[in-house]
Amino acid sequence: MRHSLAFVIAAAIAMLTGTTVVDAQTRGASIPQVIPDMSGLWLVQDPGSGNWSAWFNNVPKPAVRPEIIKDNAEIEAREAAGNVVNTMPRRADCPVGNLPMMMASSPPLNIVAAQGEVLIAAEAGRGRFIYTDGRPHPDTKAPFYVPSGFGHSTGRWEGDTLVVDTLGFPARVCDSRRPVMLVPGGGRAKDSTHLVERFRLVDRDTLSVTFTWDDTTVFLKPHSYSYTYKRVPEGIPI
Amino acid sequence: MRLVLSIVVLCVVPLAAHGVAQTAARPDFSGYWELRPDSFNVPRAALTPQSLKNADAQATNDAEALSRCALIGMPGLMDDRAPLDIRHAASVIGMVAKSPSSTRYIYVDGRRHPPADELEPTTNGHSIGRWEGETLVVDTVGFNNRGITRIPGGGYRTPTSHLVERYRLLDGGQRLTVQFTWEDSAVFERPHSYEFQYYKVRDISEPRVINCVPNPERTRFLTSGSVVR
Repeated sequence: MRHSLAFVIAAAIAMLTGTTVVDAQTRGASIPQVIPDMSGLWLVQDPGSGNWSAWFNNVPKPAVRPEIIKDNAEIEAREAAGNVVNTMPRRADCPVGNLPMMMASSPPLNIVAAQGEVLIAAEAGRGRFIYTDGRPHPDTKAPFYVPSGFGHSTGRWEGDTLVVDTLGFPARVCDSRRPVMLVPGGGRAKDSTHLVERFRLVDRDTLSVTFTWDDTTVFLKPHSYSYTYKRVPEGIPI
Repeated sequence: MRLVLSIVVLCVVPLAAHGVAQTAARPDFSGYWELRPDSFNVPRAALTPQSLKNADAQATNDAEALSRCALIGMPGLMDDRAPLDIRHAASVIGMVAKSPSSTRYIYVDGRRHPPADELEPTTNGHSIGRWEGETLVVDTVGFNNRGITRIPGGGYRTPTSHLVERYRLLDGGQRLTVQFTWEDSAVFERPHSYEFQYYKVRDISEPRVINCVPNPERTRFLTSGSVVR
């Protein structure tokens, strides 16, 4: 296959900078695209919140609907009364995964940014698939769609930023403490929720991810916050 | 064009001198890969007497692990019946199976295995890859004995197992051949080798992972015959 002059030069530059090159010419585009290599192990940076709840809610307070405020107060009261252990048994219809929790948790994210798909895994058995091959989301309301706590994610590059669009979260989760998936700050992720994430390498060892949650049944306006992750050189996945 | 080639050469030579992984001209293994019946005729392994003696107990352990949805690990991840998702980046290759398992990572950035006292044994082990021409040679150590330990052809994975795999793309990138060679003096009389053929498929069915529910009854079923031997 013949490559354009620009592609060959970009490939050479990429080899120097550790980036990945997509030959956009083969997909009908006119210019080559140099993709920042986000592959590696990334640890979320907690400024010192003290405990999980404090860290998870250490984001700008979202404007949520009154019923969500009421539900949050009830969850808080149950937790204060000692309802802190999930006693619900695992069933076949329990959704797998929890995107907002995984992205905030201390086990490092292991990212493999490859052609067509970006894998993000953390800890054993937990992983997201971000399709960057141009495919659309499936019909997440169709009977065949099995919702996962990671939703269904598609990604596209806007310059040096990977923009990830996710929907298809489960309406309910198997958790006796609260049967919904929580979003940092006091929001919810459910079957009507839409998430946009923007992944950008600030420098080789710093990754910024901005999350914007949108769901008119939860939020009065889109809820945004950012996390910073630091690269763990030669780290070993947990 | 000479100018372009000069630029490429100027870029490549210093990198090679510093041991940086080269990927620009390497095959890209990214895709969904399906194992088909032509891989299921594996030669019998030459097992040590101790390994033969342990076979039943090991099969029972595997059945129990399967019943409680333990992470299957290697080599089960590589012979999962659903297509394997392989994603190949410049520094690392990720592999995801549908059965309960951790993502497997093969580091191709020139790193070595960590010192033994820093390596937490896992079901997948620690894998590093190097290129021999168009072949990716993957070296894996640091296994534990949890999950599904059975090795095709006989024997099982232990903390002293050493696996070498050789990955090659064939048929214009539509077939991926992987030769596995296991060494473990506690299990094998001599290195045990077999080869699997993976065929590229366009897509993979959702959901991507099995939502496994523990079921102790399954142990009895699995150990009642020769299913897990």
